[in-house]
Amino acid sequence: MNDARLLDLRDEVLGQVAHYIGLPIPEVFEEIAPILAQAVVLAKDPRHQTEQEADMATPLLGQYLVAINGFIHARNESSLAEWIALEPPFNSHYQGMIQELNQAYPKGSDAALEQKCSQALRAAVDGDDGSPWTAFVKFMLQYLAYLRDVSADESRYLETYELLSELQQRANSALSHSTLGHLVLPIVVANAKLVCRLAIGLDKQPELIAHLKSAGQAGGEDGGPRETLPERAANILRQAFVTCLNDRASGLSADGKPEGKKRGIYMIANLCLKILFQCRKTRNATQIFENIYNLSPPLSAYPKRERVTYLYYLGRFLFGNSHFYRAQLALQYAYDEAPARPECARQRRHILVYLIASNIILGRFPSDALLNRPEAHGLRERFLPLCFAIQEGNLGAFRQHLAFDGPNADWFLHFRILLQLRNRCEPLVWRSLVRKTWLLNGTRPLPESKVTPQTTLDDLVTAFTWASNHGAPGTNDYTDPDFHGVDYGDTGGDSIDATAVESKLSSLIDQGLLNGFIAHKQAKFAITGVKAKGGDVLAAGFPQPWGVLKGKAERFGEDEVPGWKKQQQGGQGGGAVRPGPGVVMTFGSMKAIGAAG
Amino acid sequence: MSGAAQSDSNMQKHKDATGSDSKDGSQPLQPQKAAAQLEEDDEFEDFPIEGQDWAKEEEVGAQANNTHLWEESWDDDDTSDDFSVQLKEELKKMESRK
Repeated sequence: MNDARLLDLRDEVLGQVAHYIGLPIPEVFEEIAPILAQAVVLAKDPRHQTEQEADMATPLLGQYLVAINGFIHARNESSLAEWIALEPPFNSHYQGMIQELNQAYPKGSDAALEQKCSQALRAAVDGDDGSPWTAFVKFMLQYLAYLRDVSADESRYLETYELLSELQQRANSALSHSTLGHLVLPIVVANAKLVCRLAIGLDKQPELIAHLKSAGQAGGEDGGPRETLPERAANILRQAFVTCLNDRASGLSADGKPEGKKRGIYMIANLCLKILFQCRKTRNATQIFENIYNLSPPLSAYPKRERVTYLYYLGRFLFGNSHFYRAQLALQYAYDEAPARPECARQRRHILVYLIASNIILGRFPSDALLNRPEAHGLRERFLPLCFAIQEGNLGAFRQHLAFDGPNADWFLHFRILLQLRNRCEPLVWRSLVRKTWLLNGTRPLPESKVTPQTTLDDLVTAFTWASNHGAPGTNDYTDPDFHGVDYGDTGGDSIDATAVESKLSSLIDQGLLNGFIAHKQAKFAITGVKAKGGDVLAAGFPQPWGVLKGKAERFGEDEVPGWKKQQQGGQGGGAVRPGPGVVMTFGSMKAIGAAG
Repeated sequence: MSGAAQSDSNMQKHKDATGSDSKDGSQPLQPQKAAAQLEEDDEFEDFPIEGQDWAKEEEVGAQANNTHLWEESWDDDDTSDDFSVQLKEELKKMESRK
């Protein structure tokens, strides 16, 4: 304002004041005139008028931001989280604020809204120790836009998901601040839960994302498969997980509890895993387990609910990758530590399904006591026929129970355990059948004899052929309609000859499930080690599978479970590291156990 | 002025917004049909336990009946069951054909 204008205004103001009080202008007015004049100028300034009007039009928003700023200033993490309501419908307080946003800051006025946030959130702009927390201002801007634009309408879930995943990324950025980031951890987790639920929900409602899927058929830019919506969601959550994992400012408290961002590791990992398992992208889970194994504080420092959930997913992952002994260790721990309360039976059941499947593959059957528990309701009918077939050596019944077109296939496929049970349990059926054949028709030389107990390959061919067809035949020869009538030439078919039997015997001997050798020329299987077992041919020739498979797993160092961080330790792996062969430190080099021959 | 102190009066309203609503919307999308037909849950849901973790004595592993969950010795030496009897007949039959 230049002096001439100031003088004009002063004269105008003085004139008006004089007129108002009806007196000549005393000299004293000279002193207050410039102040009054400036007030008038400011009041007439169009820029300032807008701000004032906006402030007056958004009292609720103003109060809200003042409160948020106060929480940051006071480092009040829990109140901050309580005030960031994420899930519609919102209460009247938020409704009022949403109305204000729609009127004063409609879509497209983000710059003005950001300015408003920057002005109000001084505690974030100033940050901590000279490091501003502008990522929080950006988060708040996105949050207010989310409030304004979100719809509870079911047909607009995709839009809601997009808004929330954008908000998640802003929250993740805010989380990255070295000293203040931890303040938004509860918000990051709460938002992640919603992203997780919507990603899974949208994956199940293909009609809502059909246009995305069809657009993706052409593949990604590099020609590879396009990332699906749930994978993208898991990747966004993984950013927060990595931030928590890599946080250098926090660790464990004196009483061994995680502090700061380290608190979030397993909560966020579990949400990622939930998405990946639900949407059948479990391969992507490898990285999470590896990261945790390398960088996380011990699992035991975390709440039980996080431990049990994490070990459930780790157990399933190991099961899916054919590491049944390790899967069994993780799942047994999860099951034992789960709450026995009736309202948690659903969680216990999930764990139990995989725990039972792992154990059967390893040669341990569920007891009556276990199958009588509430969470095992209905599992007896699914698993016990398998156990009986294995016990009996009944190949036909075994294959029938797990047939792709049988009545149980859907159930086993739902849990994704069908293929593992089919492939991994069959050698146990072979073992029992060889054992039974020896029992029924094998030789029993006198204890002082130098000849070993034997069974002929002819008998075994007869037994395998007959047992394969025992029960209802023809249930295992499913052919896809597309392949009906295709002539494959002579593939040997399903006929079992001496070579096939020798192949099965070799596999069982190699796995340690049979103790003996094949006398190829004599066409016999001979049992060895009888003397060491005090003349007990069955104990010598057919050691109990569980003992064999467990012993083998332990010899290979498989009692160490990658992904299950047990001790705080620097360096890779981080578990109880023992030098020597067989100690497996990475997932890539893990060896399978109990592989079918 | 502390924002935290000043805003206490509004707190309850906000708590209501985040608290009560989250329950209502916990299942906004329909569970898939296949799982419903099998009467099996689809997902491993969060434990329905608020607040503190459950106590040690509440764990499955700490229950009095938590013994003998697994059978390791299940080999069957009995040869009088149907399967064994029929298999024995089959072995005899094939032997006699030689």
